[in-house]
Amino acid sequence: MAAEGGQPAPKSEAPEKKDQAAQADQKKADQKKASKDQPKAGAAAEPAGEKKLSGAELKKKAKEEKAARRAAAKTTQPQPPAGAPAQSDAKSGSKPKPKQDGPGQAAAQHGKIPAPRSAAPVTAAPKEVKPSIPDYFSHLAMAKGVNITHADKDVHPAVLVLGQQMSTMAISDSTTRLEATLLAFKKVIDSYTTPHGTTLSRHFTSHVLNPQIVYLTACRPMCFSMGNAIRWLKLQISKIDIDMADSDAKKLLCEAIDSFIHERITLADLVIVNTAADMIDEDDVILTYAHHHLVERALLKAKANGKHFKVILVDDPFERVGLGHVKKLTAAGIPVIYSPDFGALRTNLQESTTVLVAAEALFSNGAMYARAGTCDVATAAFDLGMRVTSLCETINFTERVSIDSLTYNEIDPERNTDEEFRLLFDTTRDKYISAVVTELGICSAKSVPAILRKLEEL
Amino acid sequence: MPSVSAGHALDLDKFLKSLKGQQLEASINSLISLLKRRQIRGSEPCAIATAHILLQVVARSKWHDVDSLLINVSRTGRRLVDAQPNELVIGNIVRRVLGLIRDEASEDRGDAGDESASEAPTPTDIVPPTSISQQWSSKRFDSVDSSTSASRPPLVSSYSSINPPKSLFHLLSTSPPTDGNVSPFKTSGASTPTWRGNASQIHALRSEVIDGIEEIKDEISQVDDQIAASAEVQIHPGDLILVHQPSPTTERFILRAAQKRKFTVLLAMAPPRRQHSPENQHATFRKKLSAAGVTVVNVMNGGLMAYMSRVNKVIIGARAVVATGGVVADAGSAAIARAAKEQGAAVVVLNGIYKLSPESPFDESSLIEWGDSSTFVSFSDGPLVSGAEIRTALTELIPPELIDTYITNLGTHSRDHLSSLIADHYKREDADFHIWEEALP
Repeated sequence: MAAEGGQPAPKSEAPEKKDQAAQADQKKADQKKASKDQPKAGAAAEPAGEKKLSGAELKKKAKEEKAARRAAAKTTQPQPPAGAPAQSDAKSGSKPKPKQDGPGQAAAQHGKIPAPRSAAPVTAAPKEVKPSIPDYFSHLAMAKGVNITHADKDVHPAVLVLGQQMSTMAISDSTTRLEATLLAFKKVIDSYTTPHGTTLSRHFTSHVLNPQIVYLTACRPMCFSMGNAIRWLKLQISKIDIDMADSDAKKLLCEAIDSFIHERITLADLVIVNTAADMIDEDDVILTYAHHHLVERALLKAKANGKHFKVILVDDPFERVGLGHVKKLTAAGIPVIYSPDFGALRTNLQESTTVLVAAEALFSNGAMYARAGTCDVATAAFDLGMRVTSLCETINFTERVSIDSLTYNEIDPERNTDEEFRLLFDTTRDKYISAVVTELGICSAKSVPAILRKLEEL
Repeated sequence: MPSVSAGHALDLDKFLKSLKGQQLEASINSLISLLKRRQIRGSEPCAIATAHILLQVVARSKWHDVDSLLINVSRTGRRLVDAQPNELVIGNIVRRVLGLIRDEASEDRGDAGDESASEAPTPTDIVPPTSISQQWSSKRFDSVDSSTSASRPPLVSSYSSINPPKSLFHLLSTSPPTDGNVSPFKTSGASTPTWRGNASQIHALRSEVIDGIEEIKDEISQVDDQIAASAEVQIHPGDLILVHQPSPTTERFILRAAQKRKFTVLLAMAPPRRQHSPENQHATFRKKLSAAGVTVVNVMNGGLMAYMSRVNKVIIGARAVVATGGVVADAGSAAIARAAKEQGAAVVVLNGIYKLSPESPFDESSLIEWGDSSTFVSFSDGPLVSGAEIRTALTELIPPELIDTYITNLGTHSRDHLSSLIADHYKREDADFHIWEEALP
């Protein structure tokens, strides 16, 4: 319980971010190397083997492969520190180390590294190991990151990169993650050739797509929109005619993905931004929280439409994403008041006329899943009788229900110990949300299930 | 600043040391500039400094009767309040001292003249403050008997400006036993003791008042301990306690509970500032708690709604409590209190009685202390400096309806009881000392 021994101090936001970027760069470099090596090896091995094998042998081989993969998954899975060690490795400026057999060992070697979350079942987790995630929150998911060297060999290089970007939170926003995932899957589809004796619709999902998904989930738990989109993609794959030629099927899938991105993300964003910009009145004072690209675009759009209004931006005190936001807004000529934390929130709210936030997801009970702190802003605004408008694409709607913030949440992978702990999201109940702006129009938070049904019919 | 850092404590110590060698006026001026420069900040240091300087005023300023002493004290107090209007405790201490002087004066006069002085209310009784002035007027009458009536006028006119409310109050109030005694004189326009003591009496009064101020100082120093005494009652085994930027009082409270109970503490951290790293915040507190076997989790979230469904109690150290029950506390605590309310967690406020102020703000934003805008945003950040208005609040007012319990050195109180606590500790005629003093010549 040595409170002092602490991790290397993240001196301040900026250097940390730099660090992170550096890490990401290094990782990318690593990946490139890895991805270069991998296909070569694969290409060398496969054609040789493939020609000689009969159908039965092929099956056997596949089985073996699967078993091996499972075993590999088993060994890699109780190894969540992968992310953390990888980071500390990068900090100490060395290559990813291969010598991690078990978390116990790893933790013993690096007293500083927080013990893995799932270390409990692992035998060697002695007491002197840094306390991991506090008990009260141990059920919550966390982006653990997977060291590239431990990734399944079937994972496509594009997905490998994406996974690393996600686990380092370089891509963190729900919609952006979704888009990036779909684009990466397009590449996976492109590079896929259906093996002999099977068809794309039967083989692709289970043998190619699933490992990618498993890897991505291991890097960072999927967001709701990714779940929705992957379900959709699997449905599209299963619908493909068995007799369709490989190239046609692939083309069809890619086109479907393109139009999905276009409809559900690009156009949806455009519609939401326009609607939200129209909702801003002349001389409004808009209070917003931290940064979300939808809010930013809506504000800029309203300004471009010639409206005069003021913005009060309350930032997330422990992740100052709002600073960049402020710069963009001031550059566009919007007067901004920047409040770096929740201090004097009520006073700031009293000055403003409306609250504009963006949601990460909406549950079917109308609860809004958004950056931690959004709920505090919304409740304070509700107390003062103000309108709280939430922006959200319908792809982020989920049929799940959440009544408190600890049902679904994520732990900040960089702050996951007793000494530094941070949740990424919180849940705002529907009564605090006046309106939800979606690409289908402005609706109440309560109407999420109705919209979900409607979407199923489409 | 959530807690008094070493640097500030040093300034307080330095100031207290300098008191001995300096002229009174010089000490007052130096305290005023220390307050203005925020070198003495936080409610406890401000209270201690105020008590010390008022003690010097009583001991060293020139006064020949109670009135001139009252004027001296309130004039000094007013200057201190003006220097740092956000620190309500300064005004509180001045009021306490003024009340103390009035009490001592009435007692002394009672000893000198009338037996009825024994009826003088002790501060612990809940008595409308006017009853004291009634006592005074009656006693004044007695003492005036012996002297000439000409000795009365000097200050009557100035004090009469605050008399109407008193007599009004008196008319409406159900009268205490002294009623018959007073009635002829209550409209005479003077509660002012026109008591001109001889040198020995003045000396006695001086030492009594000084003793009283020493008591106030003792009280301030013991507050943390006394508040901590009720920790075990409030914190139960297995609780999840949320503490927002613990002040020394709060730390003491939690540590005391940790001796007996096993619970978990969520520490809501102050946001990282540009200049210093967030790592060292409350490190010793953490260490002590871990030694006691209490798990501490440092929470790095601004809004804490996400945690509230688990939290049992929220403990907030107050900087001051206003008459309505609103609490002036570190920025961010209002959002926390609101979140606690949402999820039904109890909000417990720790405040020494000396932080309880009879003032009530007209506008809650008036009590916000705005901090240095460069705390979080660098001046080298051109677009931000020129384009945006940066607001860094250091304190804010938590609305009274969000608070469940107030724990003071006198025990645990509900909001409804605060008004009687205020009545116990401050005299009505001192409530606005910083305003009416202006009317004095």
